[in-house]
Amino acid sequence: MGRFHIDTLVAIFLLLFCGVFLTASFSIRETSYASLGAEVWPRVILIFLTLLSLGYLVQALRHERSEQTEEAPRGLKQWFFHHLNAVWCFVWFGLFLLSLPYLGMLVGGMLFVYVTLTSLGRRDFHGHLVHAAIAVVSVGTMWAIFTYGLKVFLPTGSIVSF
Amino acid sequence: MFELHTLALMTLGVTAGLIAGAIPGFTIAMAVVLTLPFTFGMTATQGLSTMIGVLVGGLSGGLMAGMLTGIPGTPSSVATTFDGFPMARKGQPGLALGIGVWSSFFGGITGAIVLVTLAPQLARVGLEFGPWDYFALVMFALTITSSLSGKALLKGIIAGTLGLLVAAIGEDEVNGVARFTFGNDAIRQGFAFLPVLVGLFAFSQLLSDVQDRVKASKPLMPKGAKAVRVEHRQAIVEVLRRWVVVLRSSFIGVFTGILPGAGSSVSNILAYDQAKKASKHPEEFGTGIPDGIIAPESSNNATEGGALIMVMALGIPGDIITAVMLGALLIHDVVPSPSFISEEPVLAYSIFIAFFFAHFIMVTMQAFCLRIFVLITRVPMYILTSVILLYCAIGVFALHNVGFDLWTLFLFGILGYILRNLGFPLAPMILGVVLGDIAELNLNRAWSISNDLSLFITRPWSAFFLTLAAFSTVFPWYQRDRATKKWTQFYFPIFAFAIAVPVIFMGGTVRPVLGLCLILLGVYLLWRRVNKATDLSC
Repeated sequence: MGRFHIDTLVAIFLLLFCGVFLTASFSIRETSYASLGAEVWPRVILIFLTLLSLGYLVQALRHERSEQTEEAPRGLKQWFFHHLNAVWCFVWFGLFLLSLPYLGMLVGGMLFVYVTLTSLGRRDFHGHLVHAAIAVVSVGTMWAIFTYGLKVFLPTGSIVSF
Repeated sequence: MFELHTLALMTLGVTAGLIAGAIPGFTIAMAVVLTLPFTFGMTATQGLSTMIGVLVGGLSGGLMAGMLTGIPGTPSSVATTFDGFPMARKGQPGLALGIGVWSSFFGGITGAIVLVTLAPQLARVGLEFGPWDYFALVMFALTITSSLSGKALLKGIIAGTLGLLVAAIGEDEVNGVARFTFGNDAIRQGFAFLPVLVGLFAFSQLLSDVQDRVKASKPLMPKGAKAVRVEHRQAIVEVLRRWVVVLRSSFIGVFTGILPGAGSSVSNILAYDQAKKASKHPEEFGTGIPDGIIAPESSNNATEGGALIMVMALGIPGDIITAVMLGALLIHDVVPSPSFISEEPVLAYSIFIAFFFAHFIMVTMQAFCLRIFVLITRVPMYILTSVILLYCAIGVFALHNVGFDLWTLFLFGILGYILRNLGFPLAPMILGVVLGDIAELNLNRAWSISNDLSLFITRPWSAFFLTLAAFSTVFPWYQRDRATKKWTQFYFPIFAFAIAVPVIFMGGTVRPVLGLCLILLGVYLLWRRVNKATDLSC
């Protein structure tokens, strides 16, 4: 997938996004007391963004026609592998957020750090040991600083109560 | 400010900043962002002093990595490596580090002096601003940030506009009407600033740092760095002997800092370039000479003094770092405005003193941090990333104790990562998020006073900022076409004429005179261009 092709897709996505938000702006409640309605400023932004997105689309299409991309088009598989580490982080972080009400910040956090470390780094026995130690020490320390030092309430889980 | 507790926190902040600044891939902004959650439990003075400590430490930490390994720790110390690394390789790493440290110190102190002198004066000017002028100032801050954030001006403006839209989501501050909630009650409160900032900036950067699987699992510094003894005495002599370079570079730094959008990553290269141009031996630059270290290091520390002037005097942040500072002030229920210095003198002068004092702590802590830095370079990036991702989550949750903030962090982390990979600059978007409310509030105030839109053009300050905004939008094209297209010859003369008109109408005695000087400058520039063109045609 070449750069210009992506730019075209992004521009189209932005236009659709503006369309959805512009439509939603008509659902904003109008008030009789306001000198400038709550919908005015977002609409100004959205109209401007739509114009910019149109300009971006024209620019992307022009580039697509006039220039050939130097890089060979990258397939979906290659693209996925290029971003694999980031995808792992997002997946684990999403699961960590979902597990937070059950496991709490301390245990959930330790699991998140351990799993992320193992996904990104070495996976042999020694690696597992090091990752587990890092997870326990780093999360435990930070949890203690916030809970006892800064007196900040961190979420506890329904399964694990700390 | 001089309580033992505050000084200890500042020392901790400087130490953290020095280490974070030294690690390649970690920017100062990220260090400051990650410090913010720790300041919730502190008083405003303590919190801001700690953050300023991190900022000053970060600015000076970048030179350690640059000089010892040739890889700059932060973008603000890129130019330092041009001469710092060769000097270290010539067998003088201690002297190179010493010159860097003391240049940073003198540059920072100059920045602090200008900050203390100029901020109250600028705040007095700011008191003249009406809502029209503030709105125009926000527009200028956004356009110049977009135009200075790289080649992709259109993407920069789109990012800035997206930031404004993000700020508009949730309950309208003036009328209390919900906007774009799509039936979700959690969105009614809008997106909190910190989760958006951490997600867009820190989260996305951390993930970009581990994109390369092989690189992510190797230690930060392949060659490794060795702790050396810093040659303080000789370095002070070398720096003071070149006081002209220090002063010139510091003023370049302060001016760059005042300008919204241009931070220390721009000023260090600018100062290096100017030092080279002004030198009698420009050919020696790049071989490991003291001037090549003094110029960038003096300017990058002075830059933040300039950037703080804008935040403290007008409440307008110029870069991500000062945007976080503004966020920190807002968290402590302090709203910076032109009256901030006179209404909150204790806090305002604490910030001045903290910025000044942090430089002394930085000099003291540098040698100690050098040893820690050497240890940290043995850690692979993926370990730091995994741990810091969780620290981001803990810090963000600590802000309001609301689970929704963590989902905001996640959402904006994904968005930031995608935008970064698509080539959209994130600085305009972050500024858009920070400045969105200020822009809307002032537009509302302006409209409540009068629905005459021409006031945006007829009021001198508003016209001044809108003219600057227009010219800063055209600036990337000027840079691209300079020396190849004829129209670029008229850019600066026309700019001088255009900016002179509102300046003349500002009233008083000094400003109209200044306006006339600008017109004369425009005429002179035009005359020079026409003469040059005639000579060439002959």
